[in-house]
Amino acid sequence: MQLIVNITVLAAIYALLACGYVLIYRVSRVMNMAHGELAMLGAYLLYTTASLFTDHPVGAIAAALVLSLTVGVLVYVALMRKMTGQMVLAAILTTIAIGILLRGVIVLIWSAAQQHPLQALKFSNPSIELIGGARISTCAALMVLATVAVYTALFVFLRFGRWGMRLRAAGQNPLLAAQRGINLNAIYALAWALSTLTGSIAGMLIALDSGLDQTMVVIGLKAFAPALVGGLDSLLGALVGAVIVASAEVLAIHYVDPLLSDVVPFLVLIAALIVRPWGLFGTREELDRV
Amino acid sequence: MGTNGAGKTTTLRAISGFLGIDDARVTEGAITFKGARIENRPPHENTRRGIVLVPERDKVFPNLTVAENLAAPVAPAAAAIERRRREALAYQFFPQLADLRHRVGGLLSGGERQMLALASGLVCEPELLLVDELSLGLAPVVVADLLRRLAEIRRQLGIAILVVEQSATVALEVADYAYVMENGRIVLDGTAERLRRHPDIQEFYLGRKSGERRSYREVKQYRRSRRWYG
Amino acid sequence: MSRSPRASGYFRTSYDQDLALVQTRLERTSLGVFIAALLAFPLIASPFQLDLACQVFLASIGALSLMLLTGYAGQISLGHAGLLAAGAFTVGILFRETNAPFWITLPAAAAVGGLLGIIFGLPSLRLRGLYLAVSTLALHFVVIYLGGEYEARRGFSTGIVVDPPKLGGVSITDARAWYFILLGAAAATLLVCLNLLRARTGRAWRALRTRETVAEALGIGVASYKLLAFVISSAVTAVAGALFAYYRGFVSVEAFSLFLTIQYLAMVIIGGMGSLLGALLGAIFVTLFPYIIEIGLLALPGAQRHASLLFAVNYAAFGLVMILFLMFEPLGLVGMWRRMQNYFLLWPFKHRRAGGSRG
Repeated sequence: MQLIVNITVLAAIYALLACGYVLIYRVSRVMNMAHGELAMLGAYLLYTTASLFTDHPVGAIAAALVLSLTVGVLVYVALMRKMTGQMVLAAILTTIAIGILLRGVIVLIWSAAQQHPLQALKFSNPSIELIGGARISTCAALMVLATVAVYTALFVFLRFGRWGMRLRAAGQNPLLAAQRGINLNAIYALAWALSTLTGSIAGMLIALDSGLDQTMVVIGLKAFAPALVGGLDSLLGALVGAVIVASAEVLAIHYVDPLLSDVVPFLVLIAALIVRPWGLFGTREELDRV
Repeated sequence: MGTNGAGKTTTLRAISGFLGIDDARVTEGAITFKGARIENRPPHENTRRGIVLVPERDKVFPNLTVAENLAAPVAPAAAAIERRRREALAYQFFPQLADLRHRVGGLLSGGERQMLALASGLVCEPELLLVDELSLGLAPVVVADLLRRLAEIRRQLGIAILVVEQSATVALEVADYAYVMENGRIVLDGTAERLRRHPDIQEFYLGRKSGERRSYREVKQYRRSRRWYG
Repeated sequence: MSRSPRASGYFRTSYDQDLALVQTRLERTSLGVFIAALLAFPLIASPFQLDLACQVFLASIGALSLMLLTGYAGQISLGHAGLLAAGAFTVGILFRETNAPFWITLPAAAAVGGLLGIIFGLPSLRLRGLYLAVSTLALHFVVIYLGGEYEARRGFSTGIVVDPPKLGGVSITDARAWYFILLGAAAATLLVCLNLLRARTGRAWRALRTRETVAEALGIGVASYKLLAFVISSAVTAVAGALFAYYRGFVSVEAFSLFLTIQYLAMVIIGGMGSLLGALLGAIFVTLFPYIIEIGLLALPGAQRHASLLFAVNYAAFGLVMILFLMFEPLGLVGMWRRMQNYFLLWPFKHRRAGGSRG
């Protein structure tokens, strides 16, 4: 029972991070290698707003969310906009460079020591007893709820929203989209904003649950695996991929060796790439467009 | 009209602002539309200004349904009644599309796809509709039908339509005014009526021989010489 | 490479001349002066400067091999640190377990590297661009995990100590000896790369980078040349890793983080894609960069207070420089170098040298 809870929580973390990769990949065919760092930045922003608005935890969270949205737009406008139309490789490398820059800046501002936004917010994190004797911490439960909420919202937005439709259109054929009066810059900025927002939500919740330091970057990298296993252009795929990778990881930790935790997602990833490179729900043709 | 590589597509792209995406730009001369300079503007701006291009390839969104294809160009902020009106416009001229409403763009036939492309161009409310290679990959019957509809659209909506067309016979029948391009220049232009009777057009585009047969060498010579004064 | 025609004065009149690596007298003299300077450097350098030079040579080997793979064959790899680690660990493990001498461990490292190259390269037969990048990234983590596992199992939790290599009963510990060994290794790598690239292999790689389908249609065995690129590049990289292990006398997984991969990628980018000279310039730049930052930071007032922030400043500045190069100088240092060269060659005129964009 506890295993299932662990899998669910980890899958939620992965899914929440993976949808950021999917969003950006879908509109611009770029893999955002700085996603982990952006998620971490979101968490640090929460830490700061929490110490600023000491009496208004809700206000602090809201402010942090708005800030992380802004960060996403800024990253696009200031850096990635110049890379549209360039080689995909150059764009990916730029995101790597952004990641390194962010890592350095974060340590400069907040130092490398572990921080605890939970205490800054004056929240507590009691664990909840579930049926079957399993336990889950409040923050982890929140994480699962947040993932469900984010995915529902994204799904509705992309399927029925008018901006969502434009987002899909721009992803399929940016040239034609521009020709049909769709402002590509606005669409890309929107994708970056949403991606950073969802990533930051994940980062904040992870930080609330287990403290905040530079190791969050590794979680960001591990979330590649679910995104690719499911298919980089499919949100549903990211969800399914997250469950698969999380199950494999939790089971391997439990039955084989805790040290495996950092490798298992990548082993699953390699297996998936060999068998079905375009992912479970990805479009096959994507592969040739890269 | 013009041979391959004459610069027809490039001209259309320059007008609609499509060039910038290929890292190219207009370096000389000016493009004006309704009195405003529009060279090197981003395409979406030109579309809002009223210049809409129907490109020769990749002209519909393959994973969006027909209805979504027609809805995507309309600004999200537009009122519902405005959206309905524009949609109705598309179905008015291309009634077949109404039946295909929920079909995905990628599953349409070539003719249907071209119809959808023209319709989604119409939804942008163009004042100048640019159509690149209308007949590419389509049966002559379909092309003739589409050209007739374009003529109908022009008559009813009063917009200007510029079509790049290979089949001179059909094109000159429907068009009011035509340009012939070669090597990046307009070498001949005039009313369709005048061009239909022009000896060069008759010989090279309509395939009618004037007088006795000429050898291939003579023809080549002729073309070459025209490049110089073109 | 100097296949392009010269602006004036020098014309090739025989095939031998066309094949020669060094062509004009100016090239010969400047190369001679450069080599002499390299050979004389240890005589005047301080130990610290010698160490820097050795690091540059090591980085050059790794950067050259990555340039072959990414800059020429067009295969993106994010597993470079993993390959370096594989070479280093081959040395470490062989030394610890069997006490093997360097003339066994170095070829073994190359073999392990080549084998890993096949494994890293296999996905490239089905995957392109982004997917390939991610699959090599995944393999990086696998290699690092295996290394860490070995350390943990055998109780070398802080790392494996490797004794300096012995040559005829004398262990090589002298910094100057190391300087010449690594200089030789780097020079050999450069020569191998130069000759590979101007032969059939190099042309095939460039063809398949530009467009795979066309290359295949031209009769180039895309699959085998891709694998070859991975094998050669990985073998060279593993040897660089092995040399690193001997030079440092110490092997630990901590040294081979993802950041190392990024540093090597940065060398290739900052140096300039598709140019061996670029790889060398990039290696110099990236290796010296942290020291430059350190000097700059220490020159600021209140330097001691900033000392703890050094590595963070390093990260940030490094990312910033990479972004600046990607955005404003995609041709890298080589692009700058060529522009400067052309400027002086043609001064006071403003025309480009004939066919001068490729070298």
